[in-house]
Amino acid sequence: MVQLINTILIGVTSGAIYSLMAIAMVLVWRSTRVINFAQAGLALLSTYIGYELIQLTGSYWIALPLAMLAGALISALIELLFMRALLKHTSQGPIASVAPIIATLGLLGVIRAMIGFIWGNQDLILKGPLSNVGYTIGSTTLAFSPLKLFIITWVVAVMVGLTLLFQRTNLGLSLRASAHSPEISRLAGVRVDFIRTIGWALAGAAGAAAGMLQTPNGIGSIFPDSLEFSLLLVFGFIAAVIGGLDSLVGAVIGGLILGLVVAFVLTYVGGSLVFMIAFALLIIVLIVRPQGIIGVKAGRRA
Amino acid sequence: MNQMNRRRFLATCAVVACANLAVALVPAQATPLSMQVGVTKTEIRLGMTSPHTGAASPGYNKIPGAIKAYFDYVNVNGGVNGRKLTLLAEDDQYVPTQAVAKTNKLILDNKVFALVGTLGTANNLAIAAAVNPGRRGVPVLFVATGFSGFAVKKNFPTTFTMLPSYIMEAKIMAEYIRDNFAGKKLGLLYQDDDFGSDALVGFKQAGLNFDVSIAYASGAQGVSGVPATWITRLQSAGAEVVVLFGVSSATGAALATAAAMKYGPQWILGSVGGDATTLKAILGPTAAGLLFNAVSSSFLPSTTDTADEYIKLFQDIYLKAHPTQTFDNNVLVGMNTAFLTAQAIKAAGKNPTRKSLIRAIQTRGSTFAGAGLTPLNFSTTSHVGYNGFWFGKYSPAGDLLKPTGGYTMYTTDSGNGAIVKSTYVRPAMPVKGLPN
Amino acid sequence: MHKLKKKQKKQSNRIVLFIFFAFAIFLLSNRVDEFRVYQGASVAMFVVAIASLILLTGYSGQVSLGHGALLAIGGYSAALTRNYLDAPVWICFAVAILVTAAFGAALGTAAARLSGPYLAGTTLALAVGLPSIANQFSVLGGEQGLVFYVGFPPMRLGEDFTQYKWFFWIAASTALISMWWLQNILRSRYGRTWRAVRANEVAAELAGIKIGRSKVLAFTLSAGLAGLAGALLAMTISHVFPSAFPLGLSFLLLTGAVLSGITTLGGVIIGAVALVAIPQIADAIAIGLGNSENVVANLPGFLVSALLILTVLFVPNGPVEQMRAKRDHKIALAVKK
Repeated sequence: MVQLINTILIGVTSGAIYSLMAIAMVLVWRSTRVINFAQAGLALLSTYIGYELIQLTGSYWIALPLAMLAGALISALIELLFMRALLKHTSQGPIASVAPIIATLGLLGVIRAMIGFIWGNQDLILKGPLSNVGYTIGSTTLAFSPLKLFIITWVVAVMVGLTLLFQRTNLGLSLRASAHSPEISRLAGVRVDFIRTIGWALAGAAGAAAGMLQTPNGIGSIFPDSLEFSLLLVFGFIAAVIGGLDSLVGAVIGGLILGLVVAFVLTYVGGSLVFMIAFALLIIVLIVRPQGIIGVKAGRRA
Repeated sequence: MNQMNRRRFLATCAVVACANLAVALVPAQATPLSMQVGVTKTEIRLGMTSPHTGAASPGYNKIPGAIKAYFDYVNVNGGVNGRKLTLLAEDDQYVPTQAVAKTNKLILDNKVFALVGTLGTANNLAIAAAVNPGRRGVPVLFVATGFSGFAVKKNFPTTFTMLPSYIMEAKIMAEYIRDNFAGKKLGLLYQDDDFGSDALVGFKQAGLNFDVSIAYASGAQGVSGVPATWITRLQSAGAEVVVLFGVSSATGAALATAAAMKYGPQWILGSVGGDATTLKAILGPTAAGLLFNAVSSSFLPSTTDTADEYIKLFQDIYLKAHPTQTFDNNVLVGMNTAFLTAQAIKAAGKNPTRKSLIRAIQTRGSTFAGAGLTPLNFSTTSHVGYNGFWFGKYSPAGDLLKPTGGYTMYTTDSGNGAIVKSTYVRPAMPVKGLPN
Repeated sequence: MHKLKKKQKKQSNRIVLFIFFAFAIFLLSNRVDEFRVYQGASVAMFVVAIASLILLTGYSGQVSLGHGALLAIGGYSAALTRNYLDAPVWICFAVAILVTAAFGAALGTAAARLSGPYLAGTTLALAVGLPSIANQFSVLGGEQGLVFYVGFPPMRLGEDFTQYKWFFWIAASTALISMWWLQNILRSRYGRTWRAVRANEVAAELAGIKIGRSKVLAFTLSAGLAGLAGALLAMTISHVFPSAFPLGLSFLLLTGAVLSGITTLGGVIIGAVALVAIPQIADAIAIGLGNSENVVANLPGFLVSALLILTVLFVPNGPVEQMRAKRDHKIALAVKK
């Protein structure tokens, strides 16, 4: 019984973090129709900046929002200075469909190498702001701690903030409109280019939050080739696809489903199969329900 | 179109023909026979591959620096028979393909005399099979892996091990558990590969059964929530004594998560994952509290045992060369590797050859000085280095301490040999820690 | 009639060229030292792997970020065939091609329904997931992997014919045959179909091309080639390990394909040589930059990725295509005059 409850708690916490990463991918996808494979690198870079900020200010609480801000800035700059030129340069010819994928992959490598140049290849420890000692009920201790509660709270806060932004503000309306049909939005006077940059910036912030929360919840340290962040990218992508790539709500649900499935496989089946089960989940969704759980009917061809 | 094709064809032919001509004019390289490969009047060149970057690099990436630090110390003090020892360290990212490519570069291009301390089981297997130093006659000194297979002389004729094998470690650990924790419920966490399966062989050999054993995949550690599922399973099975036979990252994650879930069995850590400074680097200062009272083993003296002449010397040399680093078990293993290497080269004679080097280790290797607390088992029939362990507990500061009654060494082999208490007394260190 | 003759002549020209090329590189292998011969074997392996990606991405417009996984399937199939059936090497290679192609057909069927980014992410997930299967089934040997040994070179080649020269001969002839075969496929009906689909999917569909089938076929053939490359890779390290097929390998292959010019087969050798040479170039640069530890360790990764970005930005169709376009432009100008 305790094992079951713990498995669910573990799944929900990691699922919340996958959701954040999935949200980042969805935001970029909606604004530029690009899957940003550099998202893992951006999240890692933001986490390194967060680490420096913790060293500087001594407080995770200050570092977390600032790291998100830094993530947003870097992401926006990449869109402005790099992606825009790239998409213009390669909008035609056989390379058009693959150039953005390849370019973001290259970006991932460059960011990792830069981190290595600056911080070296040693582990850096990033401590969470709260205790990770589980709550105790009677004589049993749950796999759920103040830190994990904070992680879930923060993820929910980010989601509420994004929902408000999208539903209640003019900016949100423009974001939705230009994601839906950029040409018509342009005609209607929306500054589509600017809106795209905003989309990337929001994604950068969400990714930074994912990195800053994952590190204390996971192995607790960062280094340039962190496997943890590569997996965050892959799982974030799978979660986004489960949810339909176009839907923020879908990304959240996808993240939670993936988190729970992974936790149950780990507890009841075994470690070696985790990746294959995640992959199988992805394939099943793509074959059975290619528009995702909350996807709109438009297929995923072209 | 056709015309253009023919033009391209002719152009290509011309280029190829020119290339052939150019190649034919260059004389085939002649190698000077007077001196052994990798040995000049002033220098002996050695090579190693290990991960400097990549997920497996933290901790291990200190080893090349440790070896170089000792070599530099020897070089400053006159070298070995007047020759300097140079180490060319290549990054293999812990990928076998890279290890083979880099080893080829070292042996064929850089023309090193021997390989030293090449790291990792899969990488060493790939090097042995593809580069085949055995057939080339290139000595592979003191591989940094405890996989028992490398000591089989028939398969790896020029390879020498230093670390006691994982099978030996598991056998001795089983004996220790029986002596100290009889009747307790036992749990085991092991890595799902050769490293873990060697351990399983050892435990089985010693007849020890676990009430719950969990295999973890080395690649799955990055998935969040993984350590929590280990602890949940151990907890539900009610394990009172838990053996962590994994790498540092897994060991650290298990300890931290257990503390978070208020699960406190008697921990027994394998020597690979039990290095205190590596764990402190992974977990931060809290590691000390987590490690307190856990049991672990080593074949070298405790890294904090500065009363030990080797530890004192190695610490001095290393911290002078790398003032910002910590002296830990990875460093200690690296420096002891360098120490044995220097002696082996010295023993190989005034003008060492690869043959004389191998011969020297086979005939005189068992008398080499070193920090190890068991004898070296080198002979013409055995390429096995150290073969035993002592057990101790971690201090409140998280250091594996020398037991108050001194080191009690157990020795055994990788087969079905008995586990015996060693009576070996380590000889004194040569003057100034230089090869004699 | 006249046309047919012309075609035949072109074909025979090409065969002569390939034979000449083969002769030249085998001659070369006798002249350079063993290290270069080994690097040559790696180059040949990369040629096959990159050609496989170019076929898939450049000609059929599908992106794979997980080609390393297909290489792994090929490598393991070859090793299992060798170890359990004691089959000759060429049969192991054939099995590697067939098994991987079958897997590719299944994956391609799922993939044909996906557009670029979905496929890219899916193959990425495959590259992360597949190697861990080796730990699940003991027949695959876990982290310790399986031995794949092609044997000593035949005695009649002479006493001092080294193992690496043997590797090189096998890899180079395999690469040459694959390239020759691929050239022919690309000039056949299928090649034209792929180019039509790549140029305009809707128009191709209107012209009666079955797009799904054409994409699945491309995926199958590409997977077969990738399987062959995997067997060659296994040969050069005489083993297969899960850790020999990391995510980085998939990325590296894609980089090679982009450097070669992803839309043409012509530059494949450029990418293959670059992948083998970059680490050494990086070493040389790092020493020039003062040999700081952080720089030395991270420069190769930086160079690979920076080259990737620069190529996509400035010569998106690759250096060979760029030169050809320039020349065609010049010729067109000359004709106009």
